[in-house]
Amino acid sequence: MILPPHITPTGKKRVAPADRTPVYAMVGNPNCGKTTLFNALTGLRQKVGNYPGVTVEKKIGETYSQHGKPIKIIDLPGAYSLAARSPDEAVLRDVLFGRRADTPQPDRIICVVDASNLERNLYLVHQILDLGRPLIVVLNMMDLAAGAGLRVDAKKLEEALGVVVIPCEAVHGRGLVELKLAMSRVDLPLARHRWDVPAPIAPAVAELQASLTDADARSPLIARAEALLLLTDLDSVRVAGSKALSARTLAVLAAWRQRWAGDGTDWSGTLIRSRYDAINLLCGDVLRRTRDQGPSRSDRIDAILVHSVWGWLFFGLIMAALFFSIFSLAEYPMNWIDAHMAALSGWVADSMAPGDLRDLLTAGVIRGVGGIVVFLPQILILFFFVGLLESTGYMARAAFLMDRPMSKVGLHGKSFIPLLGSYACAIPGIMATRTIENAKDRLVTILVAPLMSCSARLPVYLLMIATLLPAEAVPATTKVGIMLLMYVLGTAGAFGFAWLFKRTLFKSAPALMIMELPPYQPPRLREILRQMIERGWLFLKNAGTIILGISILLWFFSTYPKNPDPTATPDAQIAYSLAGRTGHLLEPVIKPLGFDWRIGIGLVTSFYAREVFVSSMGVIFGVQGKDEDPGAIRQALRAARWPGGAMLFTPLVCFTLMVYYVFAMQCMSTVAVVKRETNSWRWPLFQIAYMTGTAWVVCFIIYQTGRALGY
Amino acid sequence: MSSHLQLQPLCQLTVGTTARICVIKGDEGFAQRLREMGFGEAALVTKLSGRTTSLCQVNGTRIALNHDAAMAILVEALPAGAR
Repeated sequence: MILPPHITPTGKKRVAPADRTPVYAMVGNPNCGKTTLFNALTGLRQKVGNYPGVTVEKKIGETYSQHGKPIKIIDLPGAYSLAARSPDEAVLRDVLFGRRADTPQPDRIICVVDASNLERNLYLVHQILDLGRPLIVVLNMMDLAAGAGLRVDAKKLEEALGVVVIPCEAVHGRGLVELKLAMSRVDLPLARHRWDVPAPIAPAVAELQASLTDADARSPLIARAEALLLLTDLDSVRVAGSKALSARTLAVLAAWRQRWAGDGTDWSGTLIRSRYDAINLLCGDVLRRTRDQGPSRSDRIDAILVHSVWGWLFFGLIMAALFFSIFSLAEYPMNWIDAHMAALSGWVADSMAPGDLRDLLTAGVIRGVGGIVVFLPQILILFFFVGLLESTGYMARAAFLMDRPMSKVGLHGKSFIPLLGSYACAIPGIMATRTIENAKDRLVTILVAPLMSCSARLPVYLLMIATLLPAEAVPATTKVGIMLLMYVLGTAGAFGFAWLFKRTLFKSAPALMIMELPPYQPPRLREILRQMIERGWLFLKNAGTIILGISILLWFFSTYPKNPDPTATPDAQIAYSLAGRTGHLLEPVIKPLGFDWRIGIGLVTSFYAREVFVSSMGVIFGVQGKDEDPGAIRQALRAARWPGGAMLFTPLVCFTLMVYYVFAMQCMSTVAVVKRETNSWRWPLFQIAYMTGTAWVVCFIIYQTGRALGY
Repeated sequence: MSSHLQLQPLCQLTVGTTARICVIKGDEGFAQRLREMGFGEAALVTKLSGRTTSLCQVNGTRIALNHDAAMAILVEALPAGAR
């Protein structure tokens, strides 16, 4: 049955097909608690944060109805409107409209609403009501609403909209049982809410609806909702995997837009106003202010944290605390791990007869993997800090503060969130760029994000600093200072290249930024701890599988072919091996930077991931020594010599090597993510070329200048 | 009517002042998103802080706008206590 465009079906019951698993889509504004609710329902552990844009791709989970039947739930990125302005919002739109080839169109929708911000949240609900799907509205954050002096009458909202409305506090687990009961219903009602399309645009909606039904095979209700959406969906930001609209629909749309542009009809403004009129009418009945809103707790905190002086001071303190704890706090667990690795290596060496197998275990496995595992505490501390910033809501404030410096390079504050996140790892950082509306700004942010020093660089920096400053008497502040210098260098590089790219490759008018600052919340320590365990486990798994594999392979290639001369020194053996020969091939390119063929092998193997450099050094230099203590990599490096007898790891070389790792693109996973996010090989290849090229040039200048100055 | 109004860009509004949004300039997509967020014409906005990047409150939500965005929003300041 085809309905005329101005009619929304009233109070009709819809029965879900009983023979297949119903699919629910979970939608809502950014930061309204969708993922918390999704995790509570499915038992999954998706990342939750207190800033907009934590979920940038759909996540699918499963729960069970009251009768034990499976229910599928798709958690979608937050959006203010179905008219997408950024790729993450486009994911929501395309899944709801069945435009994604890889995702089934949801049968039912759970719309999560922040009760403390009802009017704005109802705008998206209002658009979703047009879809004519069975809908459950979850009034989340009822406690925050009450705290802000707002009383939301769920019963009245239910009566007005005709759909199930459930008050909820997902963080405290309140309302979940009621929600599950509602989800178990087979007869979820359709919306009773009537809303007439404004007269000036009704003919266009009718024509578009007809075209969508005929040419795009949409069902009548979806076609109506999509026709309404197309009028405000100015820039169809499409993500890979989404189906395009038919030529006929696009032609109809273009014709109407042209006509309206000619006669000055503000169609999008008319539509939005008309929706807000309906929402205001609704809120008049549903929403009551029990008291005047004074400054909230968040307002009082913001008075300090976004202050032009105190705000910066606090930001500086947070950063200083982060870097200092990476050094001072992490030292104890690091020493513990180091000692145990040494004990293990010693035990293996004592219990086995000398031979290739013993060498493989001590030099390849324990030295390779142990060299990496020792950095686990520092990586955990880094993730703890980033988690703290994310869960309290401070991340958005940092973006606010950084907006001004960012504007100097042509980007805005929103680009700072992916960059700050990249201090932990560039991969979630690059994913987080999906919240940036402007495509050029987003690409620039993706290109420079890997320059922010990530946690994988920490092992390299720390090994080099330890080699550079051997004396235990050197105060921690000096080490922190060098480390900070590397972070500053990476950050300055990211800003410098952003400035360059915005002026050359990606020229565009300055983008206008609108960003919501969420209310502050106490840090959710369990959530942070869970993230830390997850990331730590990932790191260990990587060390135990791929890095172990690389270490074993490297041991093999540096042991075979065996030097025919049985009296050959270990150095001569490595030089004779396959790895040695490869390193020698590379040496002419890296010699001007002060690196020899052995460092060259490390540069090649660590293209997989930067931390592999440390395990590779352990394997390459470990083969030569008899000392079974993995902590002795530093000593082995200090003992390394050029053929002429000159020291290889001079302070200048250590410093140059650190700078190389600041700039060079040495991460396969990042390359893969950039390829996926930009949907082409062009940008990841460009990124490898410009980053590694810069690394070479900067290192060449530093090393040659240092040499000229007599270092 | 608008000629009688004392319009000023949001970025120039004094901190602590409440104003009514009158005109939204800037590109179509930006204006639409502001309206969709309830930041449209006739909405009341209170400036909380900021000279270059503005922090404002609309309908109980704190929204940050960069300088160019705050320049594109013209407001009429309301006398103290008028809200």
